[in-house]
Amino acid sequence: MSNKPTLGIFGFTGCAGCQLALLNCEDQLIDLFEAADIKVFYEAMSNNDDGAEVDIALVEGSINTDKQKEELFHIRKKAKTLVAFGSCASYGCVQAMAYGDGKWEERFRKVYGDVEFAVGKAFEAQPIHKFVKVDATIPGCSPATHQMLTAITKLLNGNLPVYTNAPVCLECKLHENECLLNKGILCLGPLTQGGCTAPCISHNTPCVGCWGIIEEANHSAEIELLIENGYKIEDIIRKFRIFGGSKISEQYTKLWRL
Amino acid sequence: MVEAKFPNNIRNYGDCKVKTIKVNHLARVEGDGGITVEFDGNELTKVNIDIFEGPRLIEALAIGKTAHEMNSITPRICAICTVSHKNASIRACERALSIEEPEKTYYSRNLMHLGEIIESHSLHVFALALPDFLGYPNVIEMVDKHKDVVIQALNLKKFGNRIMQIFNGKFIHGENAVAGGFGKFPSNEELHEIKEEAENLFEFTVAATDIVGGLEIPDYLEKETVFGCCNTADNQYIFWGDEIIFSDGTIIPSEEYKENLIERVVPHSYAKRSLYKGKPFSVTALARLNNIGEKLTGKAGEYFRKYKNERWTKNPFYNNLAQSIETIYCIEKIPELVEKLLGMEDIEMQKPQRTEGRGVGLVEAPRGLLVHDYTFKDEKITDCNIITPTAYNLDDLEKYIGIAAKNLNDNGEETDSIRFELEKIARSYDPCISCATHLVNVIKK
Repeated sequence: MSNKPTLGIFGFTGCAGCQLALLNCEDQLIDLFEAADIKVFYEAMSNNDDGAEVDIALVEGSINTDKQKEELFHIRKKAKTLVAFGSCASYGCVQAMAYGDGKWEERFRKVYGDVEFAVGKAFEAQPIHKFVKVDATIPGCSPATHQMLTAITKLLNGNLPVYTNAPVCLECKLHENECLLNKGILCLGPLTQGGCTAPCISHNTPCVGCWGIIEEANHSAEIELLIENGYKIEDIIRKFRIFGGSKISEQYTKLWRL
Repeated sequence: MVEAKFPNNIRNYGDCKVKTIKVNHLARVEGDGGITVEFDGNELTKVNIDIFEGPRLIEALAIGKTAHEMNSITPRICAICTVSHKNASIRACERALSIEEPEKTYYSRNLMHLGEIIESHSLHVFALALPDFLGYPNVIEMVDKHKDVVIQALNLKKFGNRIMQIFNGKFIHGENAVAGGFGKFPSNEELHEIKEEAENLFEFTVAATDIVGGLEIPDYLEKETVFGCCNTADNQYIFWGDEIIFSDGTIIPSEEYKENLIERVVPHSYAKRSLYKGKPFSVTALARLNNIGEKLTGKAGEYFRKYKNERWTKNPFYNNLAQSIETIYCIEKIPELVEKLLGMEDIEMQKPQRTEGRGVGLVEAPRGLLVHDYTFKDEKITDCNIITPTAYNLDDLEKYIGIAAKNLNDNGEETDSIRFELEKIARSYDPCISCATHLVNVIKK
């Protein structure tokens, strides 16, 4: 019997980029397979043990069919620590950009017509915490190598990952980038959870918010600043929503009638 | 369902023995899909590639978005094709809004695209497909006996990622490349680094292609099919175009893809299906080599000619070798593109010349033809249609799964061994199920 911690990596609806981010750790991949007894990782292996109990389950993707919901319940039962792996699992990401607007079925019919599907009934994409208790998250779309590997190392050693509660701006400043907001460009850095090392702003392109909204983000202040710079409120809110997922819809619907 | 001879609605439970072979969750592919094959006695009654991945309705969510927002949203359709979606999205936007593509931007996008092809092909050929042929459940267990190949293949994959990081800002879902150009062009140091690494990896890439070329390819599924890919201008081998060329010689302009590749919805999949002239078709790396492989020069051209044989047009397993030969092409092409870019001054972001119009962006993703079709009004999307290579390939894949299942069953193979072979065929298409489920043609009522 191996005394290594057991790990399961599961994917639901999304781009599969979080699992790919793991496979992209080319220099650490062999070590990861050494450090953990990997029971399930469909994207990488064919000897999967679905029924196995695991110490850690990394769950990627959002849930939007009843089949996926049942599978998620099954994973929760088998996992000691369940981790929301990436933006889709944490708050829905792009497929949840219109979360809660009541028009999901209309969109579904527009794309598929009135076909009855035999592969699970679909519903609006939901983050996994809507259905099960989530013990930890690994943020990002897709997660950054350094942050993800640090988190996984902690998890494999029996600890939960912790993150600095600082927005993208902090890392942006460390790169000595010129502030895009000061140049009048709609950048979501101040509202977005850091950890990505600000690669987009370092390339002169604004933050789109793909790490998710940071706690205590001051959306009102940014809206005021952008309106002063000539932006229209609907354009600002649309940008907030693209990567805002369930979080923005729930926290701010009341404030601005989103 | 592929052809009339495999009706899935006829089920006679009487005295007949119904045997079902099911792959519940395809392993070593991207996304959540399965295979169901049913026999009634010895007659094949059902062949389904089931797609369980849920629908994300990206096309419907695209309505009202700007060009740059589309360039950021659509790559999220699929991580492993992120740059292909990015380039297809950019091409659609630039055609719709009349945005110029200066030389430096063109060559940079080209190089960025080669990064993705290298990353995706090396992941698929060596880490996902090769274990099948050498008898391993995953690439890591190959380390004991094939350490050099695994380490070098991972280096190749890492190199592809590094190129995407340099040009797009991140390995996956970078934001640096947008309609109009790049936020920031790579430095000369970074370009030199890319060139040097390509030269270092050349030898391995060629040797690895010989490993793939030496594998024994099963022949239990052979049947001619139709191949489609971007038609490239002149004698260039390149991963995009404004026309689609089919192996029957037909060439259609990009704007007419819809009329020629007819789509439909099937109940066992959230990915839609398409047929060409009523028949399944392939849009893989093998399709590219079969249709335009003659344009390859250098080592890649030499290897194309060395390995091309008459089975290439009827056996999807050759897609692994086709991807490997394309990787040689990429590695050879990179130093040439770097040399071009080194002499060029950085340029400003290009602005749209109009606020409305339709644009179709055709790109060759690692796994085949990808279409982004946008219509803008007042700088916002009013109509969006995206069709991915895996969606195009699904009917063809079902066809081959059907032939293989029937032949293997007739030969008296055990269920487990049939299941393994069917999974292997599915993997050879390098399917990308996330890609396939973002569904496509918006139905107009």
